[in-house]
Amino acid sequence: MGLIKKLPVYLEKFPGGGLVTTSLNYVFSQSQASSLWYLLFGTACCAIELMATGASRYDFDRLGMIFRASPRQSDLIIAAGTITKKMTPRLRLLYDQMAEPRYVIAMGGCTVGGGPFYYDSYAVEKGIDHIVPVDVYIPGCPPRPESLLEGCLTLQKKVKKLKMEDWS
Amino acid sequence: MNRDELIKYLQDKFQDKLQLLDTGRAEPFFLIKPEFLVEFCRQIRDDVTLAIDYLCNIGAVDTGERFEVVYNVASVAKRLRFDFKFILDYENPKIDSVQEIWPGANWHEREIWELFGINIRNHNNLKRFLLPDDWDQGNPMRKNWDAPDFKRMPEVK
Ligand code: SF4
Repeated sequence: MGLIKKLPVYLEKFPGGGLVTTSLNYVFSQSQASSLWYLLFGTACCAIELMATGASRYDFDRLGMIFRASPRQSDLIIAAGTITKKMTPRLRLLYDQMAEPRYVIAMGGCTVGGGPFYYDSYAVEKGIDHIVPVDVYIPGCPPRPESLLEGCLTLQKKVKKLKMEDWS
Repeated sequence: MNRDELIKYLQDKFQDKLQLLDTGRAEPFFLIKPEFLVEFCRQIRDDVTLAIDYLCNIGAVDTGERFEVVYNVASVAKRLRFDFKFILDYENPKIDSVQEIWPGANWHEREIWELFGINIRNHNNLKRFLLPDDWDQGNPMRKNWDAPDFKRMPEVK
């Protein structure tokens, strides 16, 4: 990512360079936002709703969101389901293995803040933002597919606004 | 063999080493002595009429004053089911392993060792099982367990 990040800095020194960077930025962010491939990461009941969203009735594919079974090929983790303390190192590992730019959606009460396991649980991590940075929170137990779609559209909006320089 | 016949058979066989508990459930529930555990298990497995060949589960209960360890056993061949339990002191609880009788007991015993801190004698593989690998906060299923980020459900009035 280093070269692309520096590209605007060099280009802008030439006459008309600004136009090139803006157009490049537009192309990059549009294509990124319309192909957010997500990692298959369903750990509990929310994953059922994620599957329903991926199936034909709600049809995730029309947003360009296709599931990938490998973190190396995905841009997004939809953390669908309870993350236990035992699971946290694995989640962090998967996140670290993804190529930048990468995004995280916390789906469901469990990943937002512990959800139904907030009290009386020794095993559940209360919010995945303790482990990975989260871009969009979707509350609900489980969130309906409509909420998930809304969350993904919100993420797309965020991705479209990003500049090449602040990719991370 | 139906429920009553099973109760009668077990009571005749084990006499006063066995005490029937009144639980109102379909399966008979017996109370035994912890010292008698291994011998009892071996006898019900080797008995041809009972042929208890399957240990469904071992569970532990912390009542706050004592531990109860509950065994659910069944015979697939004879289509029988019953449960038995025994009572342990709160201080330094120890039980004998039954894994030489039913090898499946291994994981159940490991689980209650880890979650309740009940020691298992003659167990060949007592190590970290379900809890996170770097767990250092004790036995979380005990009633008096606590941890810095553990929140109890507030009383609802
Ligand atoms: S938020 Fe609710 S539906 Fe989603 S994983 Fe947690 S318990 Fe299951």
